[in-house]
Amino acid sequence: MQQLTASILGWLAIVACYLLGEFLVLVADAPIPGALVGLLILLGGLLIHQRPVFAISRGAQPMLTHMSVLFVPAVIGVGLFWDTVSANALGIVLALVATTIISLGLTAWIAQQLLRGKGQK
Amino acid sequence: MLRAELAVAQIIGRLQEVVMQSLTVSGTFWLAVTLLCYLMALQIFRRCGGHPLFHPLSLTASAVAIVMWLTDVTASQYRGDAAILQWLLGPATVALAVPMFNQWQKIKNLGAPLLVSIAVGGIIAPALAWGVIYLTHAPLAIQMTMLVKSITSPLAMETGAAIGGIPALAAVFVILTGIIGAVAAPVTFRILAITQPEAQGVALGTVCHAVGTAKALQTGVVEGALATVGLGVNGILTALVLPLFF
Repeated sequence: MQQLTASILGWLAIVACYLLGEFLVLVADAPIPGALVGLLILLGGLLIHQRPVFAISRGAQPMLTHMSVLFVPAVIGVGLFWDTVSANALGIVLALVATTIISLGLTAWIAQQLLRGKGQK
Repeated sequence: MLRAELAVAQIIGRLQEVVMQSLTVSGTFWLAVTLLCYLMALQIFRRCGGHPLFHPLSLTASAVAIVMWLTDVTASQYRGDAAILQWLLGPATVALAVPMFNQWQKIKNLGAPLLVSIAVGGIIAPALAWGVIYLTHAPLAIQMTMLVKSITSPLAMETGAAIGGIPALAAVFVILTGIIGAVAAPVTFRILAITQPEAQGVALGTVCHAVGTAKALQTGVVEGALATVGLGVNGILTALVLPLFF
């Protein structure tokens, strides 16, 4: 019961950060996502506090674990742009497959050069 | 002051609209369908040992699309009915601050080389994708959408919208990028002799966001931690920097 209360309170705190982020972005008319501002507010708060907050971690967990389901409406929305997608299918497939693999390999290679000897302590 | 009031009215209005829609008969029905499909997709995903090809999102979306086809419901109707799921992406994005905070010590320890690696990946991935799509003369909206394909979907959708891309398409590009990268990662790393767990993790998180991070977590704790850092840092930097250019 106590854990459930903590989860709900933590979740509400996260929602509050989100709404605050949206509010700030709207008021400042800034071209950045409100959710990102909310993320930075929460991260800043946690860093100032310097310890993990039990309620926040509990409140965040279900959304982090099951984030996939939240994207379903967005993916279904592709149906609305089907003509544009099929008209550019070749380019899209090339851009997604080839460049993702190249970028992945290149980034890993560079990271390996840069992080050499800096392994875990 | 007026501006603040307008902003509050807009935020509350949106929230009200989303909640009311979920309480209608069709809203409840589609939410139930989506959640049921998701539960089944999760089962299948677990049975397949978490193989990225069977990512719960692609399975759930396909199942929902079949139900939509059977009941003759259009994409825009469904999106209206299930709007609360999309709204919840906002708080879910904010929740990413928690794993970021948990990895903070690691970010500080590895320092600049880590940030440079992430920045390199964060620039190479969208630049290459944009180059290819530009050469095929795709419309500007698709070009803009390609630029956000390597960052985590909630940020990609909002950033995509901010720079003139298509949010729904951004979500699909992002998820495909993640699946392709996660499937190709083991072979790619073997060919290039990338043996360092840190390097593998950074690349997976930076280029393949959440799907790559899930893959990295399966491989090991170090890989997973570094992938979380890559995902978070690249997402934040890209979302902050891209709108400045377009």
